[in-house]
Formats: sequence, structure tokens, C-alpha cells
Amino acid sequence: MSDSDSRQQDDSDTTDFGFTEVRRDEKASLVKGVFDSVASRYDLMNDLMSGGIHRFWKRFTIELSAVRPGQTVLDIAGGTGDLAAKFSRLVGDEGQVILADINNAMLEVGRDRLIDKGAIGNVSVVQCDAQYLPFEDNSIDCITIAFGLRNVTDKSLALESMHRVLKPGGRVLVLEFSKPVNPMLEKLYDTYSFKVLPTLGKLVADDDASYRYLAESIRRHPDQDTLLGMMEDAGFADCRYHNMTGGIVAVHRGVKA
Amino acid sequence: MTQQHDPAIVTAALAGVEAALARATALAPEAQQALRRMGETLIAIEFTSPAVEVFVHIHNDGHVSLASYNEAKPAVRVRGTLESFLGLATADDPAATLINSDIEVIGNTAPLLELQSIVTKMDVDWEAPLVTALGDVAGHQLAESLRGLFSWGEQAMSRLRRQLSEFILEEGRLSPPAAELEWFYGEVQSLSLRVDRLESRARRLLARIEALSS
Repeated sequence: MSDSDSRQQDDSDTTDFGFTEVRRDEKASLVKGVFDSVASRYDLMNDLMSGGIHRFWKRFTIELSAVRPGQTVLDIAGGTGDLAAKFSRLVGDEGQVILADINNAMLEVGRDRLIDKGAIGNVSVVQCDAQYLPFEDNSIDCITIAFGLRNVTDKSLALESMHRVLKPGGRVLVLEFSKPVNPMLEKLYDTYSFKVLPTLGKLVADDDASYRYLAESIRRHPDQDTLLGMMEDAGFADCRYHNMTGGIVAVHRGVKA
Repeated sequence: MTQQHDPAIVTAALAGVEAALARATALAPEAQQALRRMGETLIAIEFTSPAVEVFVHIHNDGHVSLASYNEAKPAVRVRGTLESFLGLATADDPAATLINSDIEVIGNTAPLLELQSIVTKMDVDWEAPLVTALGDVAGHQLAESLRGLFSWGEQAMSRLRRQLSEFILEEGRLSPPAAELEWFYGEVQSLSLRVDRLESRARRLLARIEALSS
């Protein structure tokens, strides 16, 4: 997807829902349906889909965050709370972690997991839309959004909203599926995504449609350079990205100047 | 944008080492106490070949975490090839090895040597998890058998190494003795110096000829 494509997409009345074009006001409820369906088995499916590698993608994202004790971290689309639990230890008692997600079912699972892991006291749970973050301007030290941006209706609006709430010098980290850099790997990955993934979804969560949407939404998501451009357009400075597992996933980093 | 390695692979490797280290230190109380005494310490290890950076973070509670990215200023940064680091890790006299190797050290070497000492002296009580899993009698017996097996393995390896060395030098005459090799290296070095001297004389002579002809 080119930069102009993404701009056009953001300005039109319709948006993508996987490979289907839907009305912009419809997408949030459709995405909600998907995540309501997969919430209870989301982590298990992530492990099955990625062979457990998603833990290393997330671990590297946490390293890049360079979060220190006493800081405030916002984990958008934090879902089942695995990043939030780790940030909770890093920021310590003086810091604060906000686990945010638009989907209540995912948040409920996340909140229960955090309690089970003992991540309480410095973690708050907020149900909100990434496009309209309900936080004060310049109030957050670090924002992460892992495998969430592609489900947002207007990605540019979400990035601008993140830029607004970040403190100057604060950083955003976007961990998301991206475009494999090797054509052979891309073909293999396509076969896996459209043949194996829905079958796994059917077997494990009895829901192949939701997992087909996940595969389709990954293909519709902007590639590495397009997303980098969108972050720069949203006002972030010193933007860069790291490809992981051959570009299947990339983590983008930007700083609020 | 170019990157030299896949961060996911390095992160996975570090996560594996970190988990193994955590299990080993949990079974070695003395090492855990020594790590706690070190306090908050960050050591940066920079491998030049392959180009990978590893940060060893020792926390106040004795927990050790490994990362490929850290923005804090390390107490000490060491730079060198993977081979040099392996040599340092297995050395009996790490200080001498560090001085004689091509490893570059920036900062305070004390925490580095302390960590090396803790790792080499680490006395892991492998019997504890076996006893927990199998009970006192079976766990102890299995641990004893394993100790015997390891001890026999070490002795067998040592014997094999000695016999192999004797065969290569004496029976097969596949390699010259160390003294002969040292004499040969000395001769090569002396020849190299003589060639250098000859080369510089020839250059001087050429320069003189050119000066006379002009």
C-alpha cells in the first residue's frame, strides 16, 4: 500500500475490513465482533499462529521502549495484558501502566490475567478508542500498540491522538504485522495465512471467519515504509523501524519532539 | 533501512540463556548472594564478529536479565570477537586473559571480573530439583548415578585427549612436536625480518639511483 493509497483510504467514506470495503462507522463494531469471538483463546491462538515467536517480538518491543521506574506507560489495544504485566514491573510502584482497549471482552481477560500475575496497584484498565484517547495532552512517557493499529478505522487519526497525549521526548512503539522482505518467504507466509490460519482458528476457537479476517487485515495494513511516513505525518520525529522474522512483523519507533 | 541481524533471533537466544541462568542461579545460593552484593550493574558486551550487542543487567535482587537493546550507560563496555569472549569465559586467570586478548574494555573492569568469577565458581546443586521431583531416595540415587556418569565422561575425555595427542605426535607423526614448531616459527619470523630489511635497503638504493639520474 502506497502513502497516497493510505491517505485516500483515510479520506473516503469507506474503509477496509479485511478484504471487504465497509462503511467507516461499521468497522469498529465488526472488529469488536471478531475480538469478542477470539478473546478467551487469544493468547493460545497467538502461540499457535506464531509458534511462540510473538513473545520475542514483544520482548524486543519492551527493550526498545527503554521504560524506566516512575514513568507512565499506555498500552493501547493491550488486550490480554502481556505487555502491561511486564511494564508494570519496569515502572515500579512510582510509575503507572494504563491498559487500554476498545474491546471489553479483551479487557476483561487482560484484567484477570494481570491480577493473576500480581500486576496490581500500578495498573489501570481503560476502555477507549485509539483514535480519541481520553488522556491529557503531554501526559504519557511511552505508548505501545502491539498488533492493534491495523484494526483501527483511521490509523492516521490514532497516530495523531497518540502524538497529542505523549510528553515531549516520549516515544511510541507500533508492533504490527508487516511485509516480508523475501519474496519466497512472502509466498510461504501467504499460504500459511490463508490456508493454515483459518483451519487453526476453526480447530482451536471454532471460528475460521475471525482468523480469516486477521490474515486479510494483515495484508491490508500499510507496509514498513508507508507506516513510517504516516508516523512522520502525525508529527513524530526520529522515526525508524526494525524488521523481525524476515519482515513478517516490524516494530516502528517514533519520538515526540 | 538496513539491519545486520534479526532482532527476534537474538532476543530468542538471549531469552533462552536468561532462563537457563535464572534456573542455575536458583540452584546456586552462593552465586545468587554474590550477584545481590554486586547491586544494580549494567555490562555491555559488543561482539564485533558477528555484530551483536548484549546488555547484561544485574538487578538488586540478584536477578540477571539479558537484552539486545538498552539506553542506560553501562558500568563497563567490552568489545571483541566471539572467540575472544569464549576464551575469557573459560579462562582460569581471567585478568591475564583479558590483558593479553584483543578485547577492548571501556570503563570499570571490576564488575566484569566479578561476574566472570561468579559464573565460573557457580556451584549448582543439581540434586535439589531431582529430589523435589522424584523423592529423597530415588532423587539422590539418580543424582549420584549422574555424578558418576559425568565423572567417568570427564576422565574418558581426558584420556582420549592424551592418547590422541600421543598418537598424532608419536605414532602417526601427523604433527611436529611443540619445540620443533616453535623453532620453525622463529625461523619464519627471522626470515620475515630479513626480507623487510632487504626491502628497505632496495628502496633506499632505488631512491639514490633516481636522485643520481635526475
